[in-house]
Amino acid sequence: MRQPPQEAPADAGFQIAPMIDVVFVIMLFFMVMAGAVKVEHELKTTLPGNAETAKETEMPDEVTIGVAENGQITINEDSVGQPQDRELEGLFNEMTKMAQAAKQSKTKLLITVQAEEAARYERVINVLDVLARADISNVTFAVAEPE
Amino acid sequence: MAGGGGGGDGEPEFQVAPMIDVLLVLLIFFMSITSAQVLKVDKNIKLPVALHGVKRDDKAAAGLINISWDASTGQAKYKLDDRELDINDKDGIAKELAARKGTNEKFRLLIRADRQCQAKFISKALEWGAEAGIDNIAFSGLNRDE
Repeated sequence: MRQPPQEAPADAGFQIAPMIDVVFVIMLFFMVMAGAVKVEHELKTTLPGNAETAKETEMPDEVTIGVAENGQITINEDSVGQPQDRELEGLFNEMTKMAQAAKQSKTKLLITVQAEEAARYERVINVLDVLARADISNVTFAVAEPE
Repeated sequence: MAGGGGGGDGEPEFQVAPMIDVLLVLLIFFMSITSAQVLKVDKNIKLPVALHGVKRDDKAAAGLINISWDASTGQAKYKLDDRELDINDKDGIAKELAARKGTNEKFRLLIRADRQCQAKFISKALEWGAEAGIDNIAFSGLNRDE
């Protein structure tokens, strides 16, 4: 009996269209992810009282920013802004002025952030963030002892 | 990968090969920036927003203290990297931090606390740092709200 001739297997070849589809989908995924990515930021401070004693030290302009339990911010015991105000524009303006004044008089501006024991970390970060925005780097952090 | 452009005055054809080149470059770009920025944070810690802080330098040596907050008890839990700390063992913690610091003057203590955590609990971590001779302290926040 005569067998019918077998068909040669069709050559599938390299399909470019599905590859482009897949690459587009993957790229879209990474594009969306890139926009939503959370990055960790650091706010640098030092511990108070670490000045080198061997050197002759210039007396800096020292400013104490208080952070109260209710979120109220004070500059040298004068209240600034509202307790719930996250932007702290008032503090930013004051700090910018002080930084400029210190630059003009060629003195160092030393900021001490003093938080009450029950003050929230978020509020402390709000204050440190404003100082970073005002380009003030000489910052120390301390927690006030209860009276 | 891409072929050269054809000459002639005819209408230019749509070239698939250079498009694939561009697509792959874009894909690699987005892959790299996404994977490089994946944040490994303790899920119990809700970090506050710090828009103007500097991006964390992973290469610089740091002792990472995670402070989570339990609102029901009003207490904080401390972890040094992933290991839970016994807050009564102040000397042990300070010794470990001092050993990590070694002679590296740039070593810093990175505090990563929950946004609701009270300052007195952060003060405790600072005491450990002071005991270990670390005076560079960095506080951690996020670039955007969760």
